[in-house]
Amino acid sequence: MTTPASAVELRGVSKSYGAVQAVRDLSLVVPEGSFTTLLGPSGCGKTTALRMVAGFIDPDRGDVLIGGKSQLGVPSFRRRAAMVFQDFALFPHMTVATNIGYGLRHRRMSAGVRSARVAEVLAFLQLEAQSGRHPHELSGGQQQRVALGRALAVRPEVLLMDEPLSNLDAKLRVRLRAELRSVQRELGLSTVHVTHDQEEALAISDQVAVMSEGAIRQVGPPRELYERPADRFVADVMGETNYLEPDAVEREGDATFVWLDGQRLVVRDATDGATAHAVLLVRPEWFSLTPCQGATLPVSYLGSEYRGASEFHSFRLPGGEPVGVESGPGSSLNMQAGAAASIHLGHGRALLTLR
Amino acid sequence: MSLTARTIRNVLSGPGLLLAGSAVLLFLLTFVLWPLVTAAATPSLQVWQDVLAGSRWRQVAFSTLWLTALSTTSAITLGLVFALAVTKLRVPGWRYFAWVPLLGLFSPPFVGALAIILLFGRNGLITSQLLGLDVSLYGWHGVWFSQTLSFFPLAYMVLVGVLRRVPSSLEQAASGYGSGSLAVLRHVTLPLARPGILAATLFVSLGVLSDFGTPMILGGRFRVLATEAYNRVTGWGDLQGGAVLGFLLLVPALIIYFVQARFAAADRFATVGGRGSFDAPLRTSGWGRGLVTGLCGAVTLVLVAKLGAILVGGFATVWGFDYTPTLSHLNWLTTRSADLINTMQYALLAAVLGTVVSLFAAFLVHAVRVRGRGALDLLTLLPAAVPGTLLGIAFVLTFNTGPLKLTGTAAIIIITMTVGALPTAYRICAAALQQVNRSLFEAASNLGAGWLAILRDLAVPLLRGPAGSAATLLFIHSIGTLSAVIFVVAPGRNLASVSILNLAEEGYWGGAAAIATVLMVLAGLVLLLARLLLGRNFRPFESL
Repeated sequence: MTTPASAVELRGVSKSYGAVQAVRDLSLVVPEGSFTTLLGPSGCGKTTALRMVAGFIDPDRGDVLIGGKSQLGVPSFRRRAAMVFQDFALFPHMTVATNIGYGLRHRRMSAGVRSARVAEVLAFLQLEAQSGRHPHELSGGQQQRVALGRALAVRPEVLLMDEPLSNLDAKLRVRLRAELRSVQRELGLSTVHVTHDQEEALAISDQVAVMSEGAIRQVGPPRELYERPADRFVADVMGETNYLEPDAVEREGDATFVWLDGQRLVVRDATDGATAHAVLLVRPEWFSLTPCQGATLPVSYLGSEYRGASEFHSFRLPGGEPVGVESGPGSSLNMQAGAAASIHLGHGRALLTLR
Repeated sequence: MSLTARTIRNVLSGPGLLLAGSAVLLFLLTFVLWPLVTAAATPSLQVWQDVLAGSRWRQVAFSTLWLTALSTTSAITLGLVFALAVTKLRVPGWRYFAWVPLLGLFSPPFVGALAIILLFGRNGLITSQLLGLDVSLYGWHGVWFSQTLSFFPLAYMVLVGVLRRVPSSLEQAASGYGSGSLAVLRHVTLPLARPGILAATLFVSLGVLSDFGTPMILGGRFRVLATEAYNRVTGWGDLQGGAVLGFLLLVPALIIYFVQARFAAADRFATVGGRGSFDAPLRTSGWGRGLVTGLCGAVTLVLVAKLGAILVGGFATVWGFDYTPTLSHLNWLTTRSADLINTMQYALLAAVLGTVVSLFAAFLVHAVRVRGRGALDLLTLLPAAVPGTLLGIAFVLTFNTGPLKLTGTAAIIIITMTVGALPTAYRICAAALQQVNRSLFEAASNLGAGWLAILRDLAVPLLRGPAGSAATLLFIHSIGTLSAVIFVVAPGRNLASVSILNLAEEGYWGGAAAIATVLMVLAGLVLLLARLLLGRNFRPFESL
C-alpha cells in the first residue's frame, strides 16, 4: 500500500503564548502537490501553524516536517518553504525585478543564472513591463503577483500563503484566486494557504482543514466539508445553515430516516448512530419552493432578499424558528409578510449531524 | 502583536549579532552608566554633608526650580500660541510663522543670551539706543526672558506634532453642533491634546532645568545649580562638591523624565485615528485672530532681531557706542580658528558615532528585539535625563584616572558630545524602525537573508532619512553644546562654544558675535544640506 508522499507534515504540534494556547496538539498532512487551506476565524491558530512551517516560530511540542525531514532548529532562511505575506511585504526601496531576485542573492549562483531566473518569473507572471517599477507604483493585483513571484523565484518545495488575497478588493480577489490556483497547478507546487474566507477556501483548495481554538475540527476536500460537515462548527464555517429538530430518527440497514411534521424523510447520516445528539442540517439551497418527493413543511413568510444570481427567502416554522431558503433567479414570491406558505425538502438532501 | 514580537528573534539571530549587541552595550555601559556610578560614589559622605549642611544649596536649588517653572511656562505658552496659530487657526501668514521658530535652531541658548544682551542690555540697541532706557538684564529676569525665547521654538516643534494628531474631523463635528471656535478649542482640541501638551511641557522643562549657558551669561549674581556646580569645580577646584550639586540637579530631572515618558505614552494612546482626515481651520472672531497674529508677528520680529544682532554684532566697532562697520573682530576668527576647526571635526565625528550607535541600538531593541531590550532602551535614553553639567563632571571624575584615562584627548570630547545627543538620535531611529512593517524582515529572512544582510539591505536603506535626520541633529547639537564639554576641553583642544562664552564673559561682544555667526552659518548650511540630500525624508522633529 502506498500513501502519497507528504510535502509538509505537522505532528502533534503545540504552541502557547503565556496562558494562551495558540495551537494545541495539531496534526496535519499536506500531500505532495496539493493545495491545502487552513480555514478558521481569527485567533484560531491557523497563522501560528503556518508560521511554524515557515520557521518564524518553533513549536513548544511536536515536530514540523518538510519533505519528510524534521525542521526543528532549522532557521527560516534554510527551509525550502517560501512565504507570501498578507501585506505582501515587498521591499519598498527595490524594483520589481530586485524584489523577485532578492532570494536568489542569498543562494550561490552566478549573476547570469540569477537574472535569467528573474526574467523567467517576470515572464511567467506577465510582469515584464513592470520590472523596473517600485512597489508603490503598482496596482494591488500587481503587487500580489510580485509577492508571489518573489517566493516562486527561489523554487521552494513548499509555498506558504498567509491570507494573500485579503488586502485586495472583492472583484480582484475572485480573479486572482483563480490565477493563484492555475499557477499552483501548472507548477504542481505543494501549497499551504491560510484564510478566514470560506468561499475562497472552497474555490481554491484540494483539501481544507477547518480550525478552531488551536485545533483542527475536520480535514477534507471542500465538497465533503460543505456537504458532510462533521459538526455544527464546521457546518457554520463552511456556509449558511438551517437546523431542524427531528421528531424521531429511525435506521434501517444503511439508510437513515427522520420524522418531520408527520412525514418520513430519507436523510444522509454523519452521526455514527449517535441519535441522542442528532440535529438535521439543511443548507438554504437544499430546500425547494416547488413540491418534490420528500417532506413538506408549513411556514409563514417573512421576507426576501434579492441576491442577483439567486433569491433568499426567510420563513418561520410553526415552532417559531426562522428558516432560510435560497432558490434560483426569477423565483420571487408574490406574498405579504405573515402569509402562509410551504417549503419542500427532497429525500437524501438533508444531513443528520451532531449538534 | 505579541505573536510577531516573539517570533522575530527566531528570524534574526547569529553569532555576529551577539557581537554587535555586545559592542553597543559596552559603549553604553562605559560612557553612560559607569561615569554616573563613579560620580555618585566619588564624593565622600563628608562632602555630601558639607555641601548639604550649608543653606546655600537650598537657596540655589529653590532658584533653579522656580526659574525652570517660570521659563517653561512662558516658553510653552508662547509655543502653544504659535502652534495653534499655525495648525488650527491658520492666521494670516501662518505659512511664514510655521518657519519662524526654526530660526531658533540655528543658535544654542547661550548665543541667544548673547543676542539678548546686544539688543536689550544696558547698552542694548533697543533698550538704550532706541528707547533711551537704562535697564540691567543681569539677574533672574534676564535669564527668564532669554530662556523663554530660546526654548519656545523647541516647545513649538513638539506641540505642532501634538496638535496635528488631534483629528480635525472631531473639531468640525463640534463646530457642526454649533460650538464657537473658542469653545471647540477649550472643549475638544485642548482636552484631546492635554497629555501631549503635558509631555511637551516636561520635555521643555528638562532642557530649561539643565540650561547652563543662559544663566552663565545673564545670571549675574543669580545662581542656578548648573552654574553653581561649574563654579565649585572651576573656581574652588572642588570636583566632589560639584558632583553633589550635579546629583541635586539629577533628582528633579529624573522625576520629570519618567513622568514625561508616561504622558508621552498616554498621548500616543489617546490619538488613535484621525490620520488622513483633511485639515480645516477653525473659524475665529476677528479680534482673537488679530491678537494671535500680532503676538506671532512681534515674536517673529524679536527672533529676527536676535539673529540680526549676532550677524551685525561681529561687524560693529563697539556695540552700544560705535556702530561703524569694521572687520577687526574677524581677527578673533583667526586667533580662535583652532577652536572652530576642533568644533567642526569633533561634531562631525560625534554625528557619525552617534548615528551608528543609535541605529544599532534601535535595530537591536525594535527589530531584533533582543532579550533585555528594555534595559538597552532605558540605557540609551538615560542621558536625556542627565543634565550636561553632571555628565561633564562625571566624565572628568571617571576618565581622569583609572583604567580608561581619556583626559585631554579628542575622544573624550567627541564621546561627551555623542552621549549628550544620543537619546534624540536614538528616538528618531527607533520611531522610524517601528514604522517599518515587521513582515519585511520576516520576508527577507524567509528568502535567505541573515541578520547582517537584513541590516544592510533593509534597515539601513529604509532608515536613510531618519538616520540622516539623526546625524544632522547630532551635529547641530554638538557644535552648540556647552554644559558638559566645558568640563572636558583642554588646552589645545578647546571648542568654539567655550570660546564664545569666555569672550562674552570678558566683554568682547564683537569677537563672541563673530564666532557665533560662524557656528550659526554652519548649522544653517548643515540643515540645508540635509534638506537637499534627504528631501522629504528629512523630518528631524517628528519624534522628539
